[in-house]
Amino acid sequence: MKSFLNKLSIFIVFAPFSLGLGYELSEDSKPQDGIPKGKVTKHQFIDSEVYPGTVRDYWVYVPHQYDKSKPACLMIFQDGAWYQSLSGHTRVPIVFDNLIHKKEIPVIIGVFVNPGIIPPQKEGGKSRKNRSLEYDTLSDQYSKFLLNDLLPEVQKKYNITEDPSGRSTCGISSGGICAWTVAWERPDQFRKVISFIGSFTNIRGGHNYPAIIRKTEKKPIRVFLQEGDNDLDNLHGNWPLANRQMAAALKFSGYDYKFVMGDGAHNGKHGGSIFPDMLRWLWRDYPKH
Amino acid sequence: MNRCIIIWLLMTLGMVLSCRSQDTPLTMVLVPGQGWEKMASGMKFCDACCTDKKGNFYFADAGSKAPIKRIGLDGKVSDFGPPLQGVSGLQFGEDSLLYICQGRTRRICALRGGKDLEVIVDNVRPNDLVVTKDNHLYFTETFSQRVYHIDLSKEQKVLKIVDSGILKPNGIALTPKGGTLFVSDHLEREVWFFRIDKDNSLSFKAPYGSLRIRGKNAQSKGDGCDVDSLGRYYVCSDLGIQMFDPTARLGGVILGPDPNNSVVSLAFSGQGLRYLYVASGGSIYRRQMKTPGVGR
Repeated sequence: MKSFLNKLSIFIVFAPFSLGLGYELSEDSKPQDGIPKGKVTKHQFIDSEVYPGTVRDYWVYVPHQYDKSKPACLMIFQDGAWYQSLSGHTRVPIVFDNLIHKKEIPVIIGVFVNPGIIPPQKEGGKSRKNRSLEYDTLSDQYSKFLLNDLLPEVQKKYNITEDPSGRSTCGISSGGICAWTVAWERPDQFRKVISFIGSFTNIRGGHNYPAIIRKTEKKPIRVFLQEGDNDLDNLHGNWPLANRQMAAALKFSGYDYKFVMGDGAHNGKHGGSIFPDMLRWLWRDYPKH
Repeated sequence: MNRCIIIWLLMTLGMVLSCRSQDTPLTMVLVPGQGWEKMASGMKFCDACCTDKKGNFYFADAGSKAPIKRIGLDGKVSDFGPPLQGVSGLQFGEDSLLYICQGRTRRICALRGGKDLEVIVDNVRPNDLVVTKDNHLYFTETFSQRVYHIDLSKEQKVLKIVDSGILKPNGIALTPKGGTLFVSDHLEREVWFFRIDKDNSLSFKAPYGSLRIRGKNAQSKGDGCDVDSLGRYYVCSDLGIQMFDPTARLGGVILGPDPNNSVVSLAFSGQGLRYLYVASGGSIYRRQMKTPGVGR
């Protein structure tokens, strides 16, 4: 019994570390005195033609340094609520404030978009959640949603670059594979990708990407993959293995990629902690303001 | 110190549980060691599985003119009502009437108290049907590629086309709360989802789920559908019963009881609605499940 309790206490003390809770945010992800802050505004989008009937929130971050006369770069975040939160795993607006001020990344407008839901009309009905359909499907439908439905709304107000190297997508889990799918389908529009614990597993066929990448002429995409050794192993697949397969395929086909394997689980702790470095790597050669 | 340990423990447990609740493998629905059990046999072609709220199970021998069959909670099979030709879909309404698809005789009728038959509409070729809590009936008509609606509360039964274009619309079911309707396609992989609007029309059609198929260009044989009380979808198909989680991600394929016959219809029924009953060839089988059905 004593030995069991000892084992249990060891598990209790160390399990959170093995699940990636040992990762901490750096100063880059904390508000700094004297650094001007960008503005985040919240909006609702209800006019999707690609996903009819869906309702979703989205947020737009505009940095203090934004100058209407100069096209800004763009980063689109899936599961936007998590990324724009100032108490969440990544705290993107704070990181953007800090790194844009230090000219380590260009002036970037952030668009943080949630997956859609279709609210019920019948009394007592439940919303249809569209996240898996939007994020896990291997097709150009989500890129069409961004390009034809959502971005024109944002562009009504803001001057965003047409240069695909200045436009990127980022997401976590199914949002991570979705970020990759957007660039894969439309490298003429998006050429930079960040994936946190990406679901390159068989939720809706995503496990096929490594094979597809190996047998397709290289596309001009730069991608950062973050993954953790204690990530999911379930009916859809094994996340660490799937991300290793992705990294191997990207290497095989000569992509500009970076793969970081930590010891975290299926959460944003590790990705959030290294997010500032991901941005530095992603935007390393892009002209700063 | 104790408090710290408890907080660590709760955080760890929370993370483990949150990981688990995201995904639904077959081990979350099937009971270990419990396989298929034959409940009835000797029919030509069983179809039209349905349940009443108590868990008595009903089906039809679509291949002959025979009474609907009932399997009671004691497992005994008995006749229910007069002989009927070609029954391919059954469901009880909230009014306790049993609604019946008879494609070959081109009508939908209703059976009251297991005896009196009344014709609801004719000149239609229904395949399968579903009835909502507020007495609206939807049915698939495979040959015309349509889904129809009938307001059962109206004296005059008016047929309204609420969808067209699914290549071979077949099985039809509702989510547990009844706000969403879905239809399987016998030909293609897609399972189509719709919102039921306030006026009972269908909107925002989307290929929410996708069936696994045997090979390139193979027919899905998407057929009868049902849901469990946690909102998972079960769809009969060429490869077996395909189970989807509430966001329509394929959870797994439950193999049918008879490799020589596809599973064409299913319903949660039996004691506590804890059994999945299926029609395959000339027989009815059931197996115990971890999550009960919704009694519809």
